[in-house]
Amino acid sequence: MEKVCVLGAGSTKYGKLADSIADITTQASVSAIESAGIEPKEIKASYISNVFGVADKQVHIGPVLMSRLGIPDRPSLTIESACGSGSVSFREAYANIAAGFYDCLIATGVEKVTHTGTEWTTTYFAYCSDFFYEGQAGASFPGLFASMARAYLTEFDATEEDFAKVAVKNHDNGVLNPKAHMQKKITVDDVMKSAVVASPLKLYDCCPFSDGASSVILCSEKFAKEHGGDYIEVIGSGRGGSPAALQGREHLTTIPSTKIASEQAYKMAGITSKDIDFAEVHDCFTIAEVVDTEDLGFFEKGKGVEAVREGRTKLNSDISINPSGGLKSKGHPIGATGIGQVVEVFDQLTGKAGERTVKDAKVGLTHNFGATGASCAVHVFQSV
Amino acid sequence: MSVEEQVIENAKQGKLLTHKCTNCGYLHLSTAYYCLKCGSKGFEDVLLEGTGTIVTYTIITVAPAGFEKYTPYAFVVMILDNAELRISGFMAEIATPSDLPVGTRAKITGFDERGIIIEKQ
Repeated sequence: MEKVCVLGAGSTKYGKLADSIADITTQASVSAIESAGIEPKEIKASYISNVFGVADKQVHIGPVLMSRLGIPDRPSLTIESACGSGSVSFREAYANIAAGFYDCLIATGVEKVTHTGTEWTTTYFAYCSDFFYEGQAGASFPGLFASMARAYLTEFDATEEDFAKVAVKNHDNGVLNPKAHMQKKITVDDVMKSAVVASPLKLYDCCPFSDGASSVILCSEKFAKEHGGDYIEVIGSGRGGSPAALQGREHLTTIPSTKIASEQAYKMAGITSKDIDFAEVHDCFTIAEVVDTEDLGFFEKGKGVEAVREGRTKLNSDISINPSGGLKSKGHPIGATGIGQVVEVFDQLTGKAGERTVKDAKVGLTHNFGATGASCAVHVFQSV
Repeated sequence: MSVEEQVIENAKQGKLLTHKCTNCGYLHLSTAYYCLKCGSKGFEDVLLEGTGTIVTYTIITVAPAGFEKYTPYAFVVMILDNAELRISGFMAEIATPSDLPVGTRAKITGFDERGIIIEKQ
């Protein structure tokens, strides 16, 4: 297999954006191309992650992007894996370079949904569940994670205030990220007093619906060396699955796909969870970050909440979790999120993360899943 | 009748249609086509009473389209009596966690535009 590198990365700001889905897809892609210092014609194909293009009247975005980049003859593929679309798309691009099919690709993720309003966005997202059993019975995504949260509160020594500390920590990091949707410090009290969305989760336990696009340039090691500039190496890649409906899971407080994907990625990289300096994890809800950090092997089952309580996941503590602000503060444009995590790792490992830099970081991890973790991809990167 | 239609017709009678693997005996919801444990395709239909115990739930106040008129309501996950099998569904008129402690006895009572309907026993 060829070694695979990330040569450039860029994002639009995340939030409520006025520009069209095609415009923001292109803006992020151009910033990744410029970051890599390459010409568009060096890109052999594109991988696009997007879920609800239909909401902004544009599906089949790949050819539109390639046309705008002046390379309409290059193939593109659009990938949907709910909120995990970005990391799955990254994996496909990675695999194609590793296999030697291409030496340089662009992977761009995008979502444009905020104009549809909360009710319809909530409705669209519910289509990502096992609809016959969940969405059809009125389960929203906050509701499904709230069901996990109540199971966690029932099983372990945890409180709603503990979950709130995840939100506070991620907002602290997001304040330092100019691209973040929610650049605002919050307190545990703010979270506890925010409106209940799906008990026990309150508004500030939930990530926002965001618009946004992120893009990265992947290439072979040979291509990266020839083009110079800053790049990072992908040293591990894993994917996994879980029963689509929560009711089918052996444990309601574990996401099996995270365990499967991370074990594969660690094995490929020849490392363990202890070697990770920082991680961008899928914190669509505060409970999710707690569960993720356990399933990724950073903490024992039931102890993730203790780590949050003790501040061990803050920036430059034991392990910096979501230095970007995570989905919670940076925002969650679902098709872009998995690629946005790679953008953060690229910025961190090439010295571009400014005030939110994880000191002396050499190895970073991205963890991104679809729905309640029915699909998941984990990648491990190291500085060169 | 499709598999989902069979689930619906039985839920309207307060029952849950399940699939028991004829090779290893593992019990599934009837939407399973291959055994989770042994990969076998042979199943026998087993009709269970739709009674059980609530293992987790949420009370939804921000609802998807079509559910606004029911808020607040609960989405519940129930473990069936005498079976290692869970089923989720819609429960009406739950406003606070004190209305529905984990461990509450419940039963399937129907199926409509709110999916599988579960009520407190």
